[in-house]
Amino acid sequence: MSQLLYVQDLTVSAEDKELLHGITLSVGEGETHVLMGQNGAGKSTLGCTIMGSPEYAVTGGKIFFGGEDITELSADKRAKLGLFLSFQNPVEIPGITLSEFLRGALEQVSGKRMKLWDFKKKLKAAMQVLDMDESYADRDLNVGFSGGEKKKAEILQLLILQPKLAILDETDSGLDVDAVKVVSKGIEEYRRSVGGSLIIITHNDKILSSLSVDKTHILADGRVAREGDGQLAFDVLQNGFEKYISEGK
Amino acid sequence: MAETKLNILPVPTFASSGVNFVRRETGEFSLTKIDVAKNDVQTLVQYITDSTETAVTVADNGRLELVQVFDSREKCEAKLGITLGDNASGRLTQVYIGGDTVSEIVTKLVGYGSQFDTKIGYQLDGSDTLDINLVAEHSGRKSISEIAVNGVQNGSSSKTFKGTIDFKNGAVGAVGGEKEDVILMNDKVRSRTVPVILCAEEDVVGNHGATVGRIDEHHIFYMKSRGIPEDKIYEMAARAKLTSVINCIADADAKERIAKALGWEVGGDDDEQ
Amino acid sequence: MSNKTQVGDIDRSLYDFRYDEDESDFLDSGITPEIIAEISKEKNDPDWMREFRLKSLGIYNRTPMVEWGASIEGLDIDNIVTYIRPKSRMNTDWDSVPEDIKNTFEKLGIPQAERESLAGVGAQYDSELVYHNVREEAAQSGVVYTDLESAMHDPKYADIIKSHFMKLVPPTDHKFAALHGAVWSGGSFVYVPKGVKLDIPLQSYFRLNAKGAGQFEHTLIILEENSSLHFIEGCSAPKYYEAGLHAGCVELYVGKGASLRYSTIENWSKNMYNLNTKRALVEEGGKIEWVSGSFGSHVSYLYPMSILNGRGASAEFTGITFAGEGQDLDTGAKIVHNAPETSSYMNTKSISKSGGKSTFRSLVVIGENAVGAKSSVNCESLMLDRQSRSDTIPVIDVRTDKCDVGHEAKIGRISDASIFYLMSRGLSEEDARAMIVRGFADNVSKELPLEYAVEMNNLIKLEMHGSVG
Repeated sequence: MSQLLYVQDLTVSAEDKELLHGITLSVGEGETHVLMGQNGAGKSTLGCTIMGSPEYAVTGGKIFFGGEDITELSADKRAKLGLFLSFQNPVEIPGITLSEFLRGALEQVSGKRMKLWDFKKKLKAAMQVLDMDESYADRDLNVGFSGGEKKKAEILQLLILQPKLAILDETDSGLDVDAVKVVSKGIEEYRRSVGGSLIIITHNDKILSSLSVDKTHILADGRVAREGDGQLAFDVLQNGFEKYISEGK
Repeated sequence: MAETKLNILPVPTFASSGVNFVRRETGEFSLTKIDVAKNDVQTLVQYITDSTETAVTVADNGRLELVQVFDSREKCEAKLGITLGDNASGRLTQVYIGGDTVSEIVTKLVGYGSQFDTKIGYQLDGSDTLDINLVAEHSGRKSISEIAVNGVQNGSSSKTFKGTIDFKNGAVGAVGGEKEDVILMNDKVRSRTVPVILCAEEDVVGNHGATVGRIDEHHIFYMKSRGIPEDKIYEMAARAKLTSVINCIADADAKERIAKALGWEVGGDDDEQ
Repeated sequence: MSNKTQVGDIDRSLYDFRYDEDESDFLDSGITPEIIAEISKEKNDPDWMREFRLKSLGIYNRTPMVEWGASIEGLDIDNIVTYIRPKSRMNTDWDSVPEDIKNTFEKLGIPQAERESLAGVGAQYDSELVYHNVREEAAQSGVVYTDLESAMHDPKYADIIKSHFMKLVPPTDHKFAALHGAVWSGGSFVYVPKGVKLDIPLQSYFRLNAKGAGQFEHTLIILEENSSLHFIEGCSAPKYYEAGLHAGCVELYVGKGASLRYSTIENWSKNMYNLNTKRALVEEGGKIEWVSGSFGSHVSYLYPMSILNGRGASAEFTGITFAGEGQDLDTGAKIVHNAPETSSYMNTKSISKSGGKSTFRSLVVIGENAVGAKSSVNCESLMLDRQSRSDTIPVIDVRTDKCDVGHEAKIGRISDASIFYLMSRGLSEEDARAMIVRGFADNVSKELPLEYAVEMNNLIKLEMHGSVG
């Protein structure tokens, strides 16, 4: 399979402190990768940097997406190329409804305006997959949404925007069993209908159980401490990080 | 002696509201200068009974703890200027009990990360008047000001509280907050509040809040349901308002003097609020 | 991606066009008793009005300039042509409106608006009404909607106008109220009889066209007991090169149990001095709702005032002000509680960008007899860059104990996190900002009729130089 994302010896700093020290990893088309590590290992930093957050400065290395060097591109340009990040804490945007926002974003990403009727149909279908009440479409984006609703709204955006690669940053954290099921269903639907690649940042095997994981990367202290196949993710979750990190060193 | 304009609002507003300045015949101000050296801490209690000017500079990493008690029943004008250096902090607690007072507090948050934290309490009755003009001028990056004012008005007292948070251009990352809560206990009172925010910098956060008037209905209902009559509820609330300010004062003598001036019995049940 | 769809992108020239003022005739620039006499003669003023104008001029000359608020130094009153007579007289049907005036209105979308079953159009071209059409529906319910000047001569309305005209905003109020009293020209008169509730909004468009022209239109609206009305005032003006002055006056009388909603979007050209005075008197159980959007003008002074004069009267004010480059917009509201159990609610937003200055200024007075009054003020300001300025100057004046007054103000910027979030979903930074600003303004746009809300969103897009669907 051809390579979709290639992160090459990436060092990243925020407020003069180096957080990632030379990370290299690659994700092929249609592959599912799991990114693990203890709190503060640099998982979210890596996810946000790949998406182009201005909070983090790339001080060395490069990021390629679809063969193109995107290291210097702004987040919107990356989104248009087909990158997606599901945020751990999605921001609230008062005054703009979820539906209105999503239609605008879809127009930007796809480059064409969808007819309102068609869009509504598409949105409704996606909301059904996620077991979301339709009224959420007309509520202000993330405003007053519970933690679970926010995460569902992120997956809803994943289904509508249909990116080539999605980074899911702890999309399962803080959710109850039923909500995790719904989110997993959404991710499966994305795999089925779009066939895009995934980087899943998680501490939880429930979300992984229904997916076939191709590769696992374990981060520690801003470095890739260990890499392995899909099974590694389940082993780590069963046995804890320590063993695998030290073995990797 | 000629009339002087005092307590001038940094930006004028509708003339009809009568809050732009106070006219007073002013005499001599006795001047007190306080310099807090680098890394030093100074604690001071002032009892202000006549026209007083206090000028304080707090050098880098210095800390000022200033308590001012206004318990004179006479005409009184007071000025206080505080300048704060890098990471310097100024904690000001003021208690006004009655009188006919004009008070101005101008704090310049010049230094990086300087902090100004002030609590003001007042209790006015009869024909007491009080006009406070407080300005927190943020020019230092990441400077923080927090202003909390609690007041109780009775009789035909008149009060004007002008509180200005002024974010100068360059005060990147500054945060300013201000809140005034006043309980009014007589239909003859006059209470004016002017919570101003001036802002010439993008990267700041400013918040202002004020509540004037009665105690919240739900609060009253709850208290009544426990058998407390309405006048008692107000009395308790008024006391609670001032107690929350007085509790910030460490000096036991000052606390006692304030309690006495407020006509509170000094003793065990003071802390029940 | 340069081919993104710029939905609803409006042509800036829409607000900048103007036509030759070939047939219009000018009066001398300065204001003298002779000019006032000439205006009176021109208007065929009744005696009381002629005297009123001269008395107002005297007050004008005696009254000092306002000493607070935005700078109006650039305003040279002696060089403003105060009155320009349009080439056509009153029109009741569209066909007889002159072609170039028609084009102007066409560009502003007036005929379209009418087609959408709006009740009547009183459009002011230059200083006089040129087009006026009251839909039968309104007239049939007994609602009078006409121009003030001709109503003054109608025996049915002469007395009621005389007893209400500039009684709420007397010429002594401030310098520009006095000026208005002296030179006012054009405007609307609306009378809604007892119990009549008009479901369709009445709207008027005011524009200035000639260079250096002043506009002093007067709006007088009287609602009798238990009636209701929605009045929409829309303003836009083409660009000129000399200072323009707008000193209009709006007087609203809301009777017992009556309810009036008064909506305005002002988009004066960026060299206009907009010194407008608006005031409402609300009787027992009545309600005034103001919806106000201020986008245009060089300098604005605008603080609609509500006087709650009867038990249970209420006022609601929803406003947005957007100050861009070269603009100094001083806006807000005043509310006077003058009766028991009155209530008021104020919700405003201001945005400052590209060196613009916006000032929110308010006054809430709880009078001695306003026992049980309630008031809540909420204002939020958004700074879009560090060249701009945003000031908040509210005054609360309470003179009784049994009341409940709350005030909240917030100032800040768009967070980087919000922008990154939207950008990660494909919006450019400019679009992300525009979207957040539009959301910020949502409280006002949702209070407006759809076509106005669209217009307001377009204005925001225009000001933000970006566009999102």
